[in-house]
Amino acid sequence: MTGSAKKGLSSLLSKWRSDRKYTTFDFNPVATFSPFKMNCISAVKMYITKMTDESGPGMKVLLMDKETTSVVSMVYGQSEIQQREVYLFERIDAGNQEPMKHLKCIAFLRPTKENIHSLAMELRRPRYGSYYIYFSNITPKADIKTLAEADEQEVVREIQEFYGDFLAMGPHLFSLGIPISYQSSGWDHDILTRCVQGVTSVLLSLQKNPFIRYQNNSKMAKRLAETIRQVLSKESELFEFRQSGSPPLLLILDRRDDPVTPLLNQWTYQAMVHELLTINNNRVSLAHVPGVSKELKEVVLSAEQDEFYASNLYLNFGEIGQTIKELMDEFQKRSKSNRKLESIQDMKNFVEAYPQFKKMSGTVSKHVVLVGELASLMERYNLLEVSETEQELSCQEAHSQHLQHIRRLLANEKVRHEDAAKLVMLYALRYENHSSNDTGGLIESLKRKGVSDRLVKMVRTVVEYGGAHARQSDLFGHQDAVVQVTKRFFKDLRGVENVYTQHKPLLVETLEDLAKGRMKETSFPFLGNNSNVATKRSQDIIVFIIGGATYQEALSVHQINQTPSLGIRVILGGTTIHNSTTFLNEVDAASTRSRVQNL
Amino acid sequence: MAEGEGLVLEGFLCPICKVDFGSAPKLLSHFEKEHNEDKDVIQAFKDFFDKAKNKILKNEMGSGVDSEVQTSRKVLGYSPSLYKPQPLGAVRSHMSYFNTVRSHHLEHYTVETNKLLIRLDKILKNLPSDPLKRKSHEQQVVPWVDEKMVRLCPSCSRSFHLARRKHHCRLCGFVMCNDCSYSLDLDVARKMTSPVSQVQAASEFHGSTSLQQLKRSNSNSSLNSVMSLVEGVHQKLDLGLRVCKECLHLLECREALRESRAARPILLQFYERLRSYMQDASQFLPTYITMCNSLSYGESTYQLKEAQALWAKLLRLAENIDSLSKKILVLGSADTENPPRGRALQLQQQIRAAATAFLRDEMLGLPSLPTEAKYLEMQEQRRQELKARIQEEEMEAQAAMQLQKQRKERNQDRSVHDERANAHQDTVLLDSGWTPEKARLFSSDDPMVQQMNNLKHYIKEAKLAQRVDEVEALERNLQELQEEYWRQQERKRQAAED
Repeated sequence: MTGSAKKGLSSLLSKWRSDRKYTTFDFNPVATFSPFKMNCISAVKMYITKMTDESGPGMKVLLMDKETTSVVSMVYGQSEIQQREVYLFERIDAGNQEPMKHLKCIAFLRPTKENIHSLAMELRRPRYGSYYIYFSNITPKADIKTLAEADEQEVVREIQEFYGDFLAMGPHLFSLGIPISYQSSGWDHDILTRCVQGVTSVLLSLQKNPFIRYQNNSKMAKRLAETIRQVLSKESELFEFRQSGSPPLLLILDRRDDPVTPLLNQWTYQAMVHELLTINNNRVSLAHVPGVSKELKEVVLSAEQDEFYASNLYLNFGEIGQTIKELMDEFQKRSKSNRKLESIQDMKNFVEAYPQFKKMSGTVSKHVVLVGELASLMERYNLLEVSETEQELSCQEAHSQHLQHIRRLLANEKVRHEDAAKLVMLYALRYENHSSNDTGGLIESLKRKGVSDRLVKMVRTVVEYGGAHARQSDLFGHQDAVVQVTKRFFKDLRGVENVYTQHKPLLVETLEDLAKGRMKETSFPFLGNNSNVATKRSQDIIVFIIGGATYQEALSVHQINQTPSLGIRVILGGTTIHNSTTFLNEVDAASTRSRVQNL
Repeated sequence: MAEGEGLVLEGFLCPICKVDFGSAPKLLSHFEKEHNEDKDVIQAFKDFFDKAKNKILKNEMGSGVDSEVQTSRKVLGYSPSLYKPQPLGAVRSHMSYFNTVRSHHLEHYTVETNKLLIRLDKILKNLPSDPLKRKSHEQQVVPWVDEKMVRLCPSCSRSFHLARRKHHCRLCGFVMCNDCSYSLDLDVARKMTSPVSQVQAASEFHGSTSLQQLKRSNSNSSLNSVMSLVEGVHQKLDLGLRVCKECLHLLECREALRESRAARPILLQFYERLRSYMQDASQFLPTYITMCNSLSYGESTYQLKEAQALWAKLLRLAENIDSLSKKILVLGSADTENPPRGRALQLQQQIRAAATAFLRDEMLGLPSLPTEAKYLEMQEQRRQELKARIQEEEMEAQAAMQLQKQRKERNQDRSVHDERANAHQDTVLLDSGWTPEKARLFSSDDPMVQQMNNLKHYIKEAKLAQRVDEVEALERNLQELQEEYWRQQERKRQAAED
């Protein structure tokens, strides 16, 4: 299997290279970045480590709910936590009855009504010897009282709040795991509460008491900002941190301002895997891949545990293919040299190298299968050509040319229905107010192509969701001609690095404006009366996008963090991490609800 | 820029014909083609263009105007160097509030429970076997509530009649129906009232706290023999005490607590031993690795024998960990009727998995020690290397010396009149020329030698005391001293020869 995958890969690599149409200019690479102290992963990991420490030596069971299970699994591997004497994992809603008095129970739970109730029941008839209870968020006193009254056997040793109430997707990236956050009328109460809890727990775990700015045209952003502010002032004691330097900033944005980024095909490793295969809590299912071995039916992509992934997740597809090839060569060399074990010494060496060997073989086969699958999808659906047009649509204004390209692609048999529909969506968004807009004609061609009704309707729904009326930023740069011209000027000066990765998310511009103090207060007002704050520049910035962030934006933030001249450190979060499929689901859900309400 | 119509044109305009070319290179080529009659203008335009280009590019790089951030094409992944260790996030403890509420709440329970226990004890003492006598005895201890006052059963709120008769809880004296009452086994009750130490002694003696065995252990008590007489005569319920749900719950809770404090399953004992082995192993590991590395370089900081002893110790620990975790894995599986199932089994499997992971990650990849012969060889090699290095240094020093000498001579030749400088140099030479003599004379009293002797002594003591860390530090000191001494001696010798 590896042989054929390798062959396919090299042909693909050459294709990728020949498809690079523009020369590249290398500007002097950024050499130095000072390390910084905002890391989502370590924030959560340290909490979990502290829990296992506080309960002292002895066998332990970790009692969790559905959400905290994901929280923990994002930062700790099973074998890693085993070494901290945690041997059993249990869901509080599993209703297990078997008592094991010789175990210590670490309960890490969200402070929900159901959890408090179940925990109180558990304490009345405790199955474990002692309990160390950690709530992932601010817990009302009344609930603590309920539990205290239930603890008749005095089994509770600790009860604390450890604010790990978010999914740490990366050092600078967090998600709240909310697939759909919009409702036509604004916030759903429960989802708003979850967002407030999630964002405040991020702030607490990083010890930040920020000023808040929000996207002015979004009522939801404003509401969220205000509710977070209320928590900050209500729990002011909790938010008293010794803050050195400039005050941190929480920036709340709305996905509607940039509906383009989640629609594009991606070419950096992590983003591409998510777009084409979907990453769910660091897990990717490969069950549909023909001939895949049993242990690779579901693979884990964790930058914490997979060194190869950690150092390559931001490389583009061409580079990752190259790296994989090298890795495979080395692996084959090794496995070959290991195959002829002639002397005892050889065998001994082999056994001594075994852990690394085993580790390496696992890593290699996993990534080979992944990259091979990506390559075959890309070939099968003509993704290079599709992506090129997508990128042009998102970056340049050339109506007739674009229309022609889209028509040509719609006629192409290989192009997937989803991709075809997405192209028309991008067109509809860009040329929404163009005099010779032909969205209607394209929709007709979609229908002729046999694209499902749902997808065809989605074209209008996307415009309804994130069209010009819903945006406040100049996403396509229609108004500001000067900026556009200079932009093009730079592009021509430096050449385009890669046709498939020329699009930069709107977030980059927003953050650059912020870093340079150019962000307008009319578009992103401060919450409350903070006129004196406006003069101060924040260094630590936490961005939260209602309606989900994307891995492409995560990459941009990573690059911003590595640009010392900007002088800002950013953490990005969203209600979820979208790819185009999940994004369209959200757009769809938002609009069906609105339609139902309008009727 | 302003045209007659007052329109402002922007873009890549040609300054002469005012046509927008859209991009810089196109504009430049147009200008060169169309307006090439005036060389000065071209030059001026070119200069301006370059300047603008420079300025914008520089600006872009400096402050990143529209830099699109990315300046290096190759994007690094996550690396730990990017992140400094951060402090633990905010935490808040509710323990003190929890404790206040709990102790307040428990106070009531403890008082209630104790009251029940005292009553139970009184009832059990001299409990008559005759049912009527027994009833009055029970009533004596706990006054019964007047049953006429109660119309409905307080726990199921159904009315009483002929078929649903009223019963009294023997512990609180309250009324309930038959369905809502429970029977507390007298043996269990007796166990509850007996002091903890006695129960423990009994359970330890039999290795279990099961009811059957308890009964046997108490079989010689007079009470029990009385009971065995009663057993056949009375109905099943009469064997126990009729109690209400609340009283039973209180007593059961206390019992569960007592049991869990006393219980120490065999798994726990095995596990604790396993952990202590693992801790020992992880304690010895770093020492062994440094020893091994040092030895394989042929250094003499550690004795090969010590390292071998440590290696043997580690091997033994690894074996123990392996066998003990295997034992844990199969614990109880010999019991064919009731093998460990479900989570108990899972726990045992996980412990074994953790132990194997520990062995695999920590112990399997350990470097092995060189053999005696190999070690000697390495030592020899290292000695040779050291010698070679010293010789090299010597040569270099001599070469430098000669160079200096030559220069000096040249200097003297060239500038005879600059005597002061030369005189100065002479004094320096003279000074360094003096000391070796002294050193050689008092070499045995050299403070350095004394220091070294002291150190050697300390090391010997530390080794005897098995303090590996200290030995290591001392050895390092000694080595430094020796090297320094060597260098000093060399310098002195050279100086003397000079």
